Amino acid sequence: MTYRDRIEEHIANFPKMPPLCQSLLGYLDDPDVDFKTIRNLVQYDPGLTANVLKLANSVYLGTVQEISSLQAALVRLGTRRVFELVLSLAVSTRLVPALPGYGLEARDLLRHSIWTAVAAQELARILQMKNVDTVFTVGLLHDLGLLLLDPFIAGERDRFTLIFEEQSISFNTAEREVLGIDHAEAGAGILELWQLGPEIVSGVRWHHEPAEASCFQELIYLIHLADMLSLSEGIGTGIYGLQYNVSAEPVRALGLKKEHLEYAASKTLDKMRELETILT
Amino acid sequence: MTQLIVDIADMKISDNPADTLITYSLGSCLGVAIYDPVLRLGAMVHCMLPLSKVDKEKAKIRPYMFVDTGLQQMLTKLYESGMRKARAVVNVAGGSQVLDSQGVFKIGERNFTVLRKILWKNGLLMNAQEVGGNKSRTVSLEIATGRFYIKSGGKTIYYDLP
Repeated sequence: MTYRDRIEEHIANFPKMPPLCQSLLGYLDDPDVDFKTIRNLVQYDPGLTANVLKLANSVYLGTVQEISSLQAALVRLGTRRVFELVLSLAVSTRLVPALPGYGLEARDLLRHSIWTAVAAQELARILQMKNVDTVFTVGLLHDLGLLLLDPFIAGERDRFTLIFEEQSISFNTAEREVLGIDHAEAGAGILELWQLGPEIVSGVRWHHEPAEASCFQELIYLIHLADMLSLSEGIGTGIYGLQYNVSAEPVRALGLKKEHLEYAASKTLDKMRELETILT
Repeated sequence: MTQLIVDIADMKISDNPADTLITYSLGSCLGVAIYDPVLRLGAMVHCMLPLSKVDKEKAKIRPYMFVDTGLQQMLTKLYESGMRKARAVVNVAGGSQVLDSQGVFKIGERNFTVLRKILWKNGLLMNAQEVGGNKSRTVSLEIATGRFYIKSGGKTIYYDLP
């Protein structure tokens, strides 16, 4: 059995999406479901409701008026975004534990994921990009595959060390060389099973190879650049350090300049800290 | 021994010989430690970005985010605490970067360029410097001895006072 076969088995056995998220997702495409049904599902948990509101106000600050009730959140943001906020809260706790294979301490992956989500939003704002609503959620989920690959990386640490001593390649390329799959593909595999839709799945799948994507390019470009910015600033760098390739395509297509990156980075730090307390 | 953690965009100063200043996970950011061996006084800063002009508002709240405002403030605090320029031992680490053929992610290189200019203007020389590449680094400064440690890729090296 190859590593890839074993990892695919792990993807199939990865914990399901939390039940509340599953119920909400089931209602999203149902035109007969009204806000009340969704509101009742979420309001059943007062702690969750409070956090959804805090998160909504923090993530969408400046784009909508302050949101003080779940009803208002549903009206102003729509059911899809509210679902994504609930999902973000549910998934973020899973990003907290240390990942010894990757050399990440507890909370490193969470901070890296939040940084990527916020920086992607900031870049979208700076570059005046529209229709990239999902960018926060994809940013938060983009490295979910690390949870799955961590034990395999731990078992092959010596080979990874050797590869890096001999060649200057991107870490995801090394993952594919050793394990036959990288964390982007593994993460996308999980999200596909969770049935989160092609936009989120593609965003995660191609975040290290944005030029390979055939749709949702703008979203994928933002996630790629924000991820690179996060690593660049040393947020969640494990054994791989900053050993990742920046793809030329997003830089060219979005007309990205160093000032855009630096401005986004300056805005992201405090926001990351604020969201870290809300999300866990 | 007490570890004083220097967060991103922050600075710590101490003359307590029991203290060690430490900052984690420097990527393109710069960790700069300055030490006066006579007073046994040291400070460390963790700067993210080269120039404060990119976000002047943020620089007012978080001057240590930027190399220009961060270094100026740090030096001011050290001089106020009695440090003499001639005795200052400056150690620097960080300034790494991701693999980027386009050059937009050269934040580390720009950080270091700005730092060198500021040190030159202030008539300060660097003692140890480990800058560039694509590794993440953790650095610490022992207040009792002035010893500067750089930990990277599982290895730790240290620099004693000159």
